[in-house]
Amino acid sequence: MVRQGKLLEVQDLQKNYGKKNNITKALNGVSFDVLPGEFLGIMGPSGSGKTTLLNCIATIIKPTSGRVLLNGENISAFDSKDLAEYRGSRIGYLFQDFELLDNLTGQENILLPLSIHGIDFAKAHTKLDDLAFFLEITDILNKFPSQMSGGQKQRVAAARSLISNPDIVLADEPTGALDTRSARTLMNKLEGINRSRGRTILMVSHDPNAASFCSRILFIQDGVIFHELRRKHDESQEKFYERILHLLAQLGGGSVNVL
Amino acid sequence: MFSRLIYRNAKRNRKENLIYFATLVTAVASFYIILSLGRQDVILFLKEFESDAIDKLLAQMPIVYLFSLFLLFFLTLFANRYQLNRRSKEFGLYLMLGMRKERLILQLLAEGFITSILALIGGILIGGFLAEIISLTVSKLVGQGIIGHQISLSVGAIFFTIVGFLFIQFIALAILGGRLFNQEVHQLLYEQMDKKQDMGHLKGNVINILVGSILLGAAYWIVLYRFMDFAGLILFAALALGSLGTILFMRGFAKLLGLLANMSERKSTKGLHTFTLRQFQENIANRSTSVAVTSILIMLAIILLTDGASTIMGLENVYTRGPAIYDFTVNSDNQKAEQFLTSEKMVSYVEDLNFLEIGQMKYQDEHGEDDLPLSLVDWSKLREQLIMALPSNYREQILSGEMQYYDISSENPEALNLFGVLEIDATKPYLIPETSYNGLLEAIGETPLNLDSDEIALYFNPDFMPMDDVDIMPVLDRILEDALEERQSLMSINDQEVFIHPSIPMRGLVADRSVEITSAFIVPDQMFEQLLDTETYVSYWNFCIPQKLQEQQGLMKAMMEARDLLQSSGFEFESYLQNFGRKLFYVVAGSYTTLYLGFLFLIIACTVIALQFLTQMKQTGQRYVTLSVLGAKRKQMKQSVHRQVLLTFLLPMSLACVSGAVGIRAMISFVIIYFDDQVLLYPIALTFACLVLGIFVIYGVAVARSADHEIDKLRWKPNID
Repeated sequence: MVRQGKLLEVQDLQKNYGKKNNITKALNGVSFDVLPGEFLGIMGPSGSGKTTLLNCIATIIKPTSGRVLLNGENISAFDSKDLAEYRGSRIGYLFQDFELLDNLTGQENILLPLSIHGIDFAKAHTKLDDLAFFLEITDILNKFPSQMSGGQKQRVAAARSLISNPDIVLADEPTGALDTRSARTLMNKLEGINRSRGRTILMVSHDPNAASFCSRILFIQDGVIFHELRRKHDESQEKFYERILHLLAQLGGGSVNVL
Repeated sequence: MFSRLIYRNAKRNRKENLIYFATLVTAVASFYIILSLGRQDVILFLKEFESDAIDKLLAQMPIVYLFSLFLLFFLTLFANRYQLNRRSKEFGLYLMLGMRKERLILQLLAEGFITSILALIGGILIGGFLAEIISLTVSKLVGQGIIGHQISLSVGAIFFTIVGFLFIQFIALAILGGRLFNQEVHQLLYEQMDKKQDMGHLKGNVINILVGSILLGAAYWIVLYRFMDFAGLILFAALALGSLGTILFMRGFAKLLGLLANMSERKSTKGLHTFTLRQFQENIANRSTSVAVTSILIMLAIILLTDGASTIMGLENVYTRGPAIYDFTVNSDNQKAEQFLTSEKMVSYVEDLNFLEIGQMKYQDEHGEDDLPLSLVDWSKLREQLIMALPSNYREQILSGEMQYYDISSENPEALNLFGVLEIDATKPYLIPETSYNGLLEAIGETPLNLDSDEIALYFNPDFMPMDDVDIMPVLDRILEDALEERQSLMSINDQEVFIHPSIPMRGLVADRSVEITSAFIVPDQMFEQLLDTETYVSYWNFCIPQKLQEQQGLMKAMMEARDLLQSSGFEFESYLQNFGRKLFYVVAGSYTTLYLGFLFLIIACTVIALQFLTQMKQTGQRYVTLSVLGAKRKQMKQSVHRQVLLTFLLPMSLACVSGAVGIRAMISFVIIYFDDQVLLYPIALTFACLVLGIFVIYGVAVARSADHEIDKLRWKPNID
């Protein structure tokens, strides 16, 4: 049954590592929804379980219990064959260290998901040109990753995650390996993609600056979501950034009950 | 604790890296095979007749051994480097945990030692088994029953195999350990493939491929048309040009692949096509020199194997008997020899016993003007007739005195050969009495000569005189016939006119090489006694092994028995066995080393390709993880890998096939290799082609399976953030 209005539903997700006597609960019953067109951030300190959460949604790891529904389909129950169909076509990924294949040119990297899924390349040409123009990577399409700067690499990776029109883009610390300026450019581009093209993005980060581009932020600690921040309709990114900092300061100060 | 770690690591090395261990075992086995050559049945057999030649052959074996030691050193160096690269992270970890570098290297050497010992055991067992198989196959090919079989196990060979192998293994590990010693811990922990994706500039690579092709073309041209110039020295130039050309060609080829990847946009939507091409391109571009070297090695292997195979085909020839009909020749004229040969002990081995007398003709009593002795023979009329029978160009050369010497060759017209032989021999010809030759004719079932008292026959030795048919000489017969019609004598001896008998069947006079004459006059016995220069007189007893005995025991066995009896009697003798042994020796000596080196080159090339591919695979493993995250299925990735393996093997092999074909073509046209048995040509060519392909397939499949294993091992390892 497709539930109108919800793109992604995460229901009581649990992930345990280790064996009987020594279990680490990385995720301890996480539930939330993502609406179409949202730019959702997930923040949390090291070891809070945010990357585990993202990987569960990304189908890279299997949750111990709970469900992940994408457009109403329970993707956490898929077998590996169906998952391969999902990856790269319905879900796009953006990694901290780009994960570009360094023996393929920028263009070849971007088109790789299409190749893998056997999608006709001719139709994708306009899409590629459009994305490349928007992400300002037209000039470097024929270069190899080793000839690009970090920011360029991440924008090529962004184009790759978007080429197959995925329902959702999952970004794992996309600014983690970038300098401030490149990080800012990238976040501007991601925000643009989210705003002007309505692409849904789910981003994990512990960088408040990057997170301030999101429309909503979930805070996770010890495997549970314990707080949520929403950016007000007319709130500027700078203001939102200050609110995040303020919250983090409170968190750092030891107060758990931030509200 | 330390020793257990060493033991476990060594065990894991063998398990995880079968190709590494197999390489070491191959190295050991090939050492053993070359070193145990002296114990091969056929060599032991040949030693009895051709001991000098065999000793010379065996004396060359240390050189082959050292050469293969040298080659296999690089192979073990390469295999060990691959193995250490795989484990560099582990070494980094040991160092991080506080292990001293000296200790680490000591540990490596100890691990290497354990692996070497096991490789030695396996290698010597396999080598011994192969040597045994080779020994048995060869003796079967040569003929069962001729050669007795002995176990070819050789203690000396085992000793030198162990010493040689441990030596190269130690040197290789020492070199690699030294390199490890100089590396930073960080390098070890995070070792990755050099991220050089710069495939060069298009222009530079086009030039590379052009220059490469031109150099290769020049090398081919030299080999095909200028093979023998400057006493074959130009071949080295061709080899140098060809090698350089191959290297440049491979270097340029990588970029061509890049273009191909760019151009095939339509295909790029079909799975991992682009990725496959790019992986292949990277593998070639980053290691163009070693790809070129493997290509050159494969080419050499193809040429050597063809050469060896063509020699094996000559084995058939070993059994076809030449013009010699006698099996034994006893070099003695005295009564004792006759008595022995007709004795009860020998009689069952003797048939067609014949007493051969031979000697040269006397000169005239008085000397000529310049004090040179004068010949009794005047053959001017026959000479005239022979000149008349020559094609005009030769005739003019002879009449004008231009022709100073005579080549006796199968390409000459018959008259020219006859003329040449008689011009040299007729002054003081060899004489054979009619009865001696009649004995020979009877042995082959021909009618005896029955010469008139003024009649002689001309004998030409078919070993030295090329004849289409050893029974007739058409030109000579026509001249003699014409002379007979006119009742004209063409020759006089001692001022007496003699008539020449029409050509007679001609066979070898002795079993092997006791009598090496080109021509002789067969004369009535009386004339023989009159004209003989007694100082040149020799005589032999010839006989054959009886047909019946041959049928019962086989010729070789009966001959060996007769030989043993003769040997114990103390007479000087020779037999057809020597002839046989000599021919067999050429085949064995010619094929053994070339085939050995051929297979060695092939195996080295395959191992290098295999290890290189797996190294790249290991170093770029993360790419496959990324691919799987992007939605590639394992099956898709395995397909891509299989295609990469295929391309990686095919590229050096294709160029090698072209170069090899040119090389073989040249060797055929300059008769360095010679396929004289058309019936055997295709089976043998097919067998060798299958062997070569089989080796490639085995290596290819092994590599593909290891690569599959690597892909199966891939796991997306999330770090719990």
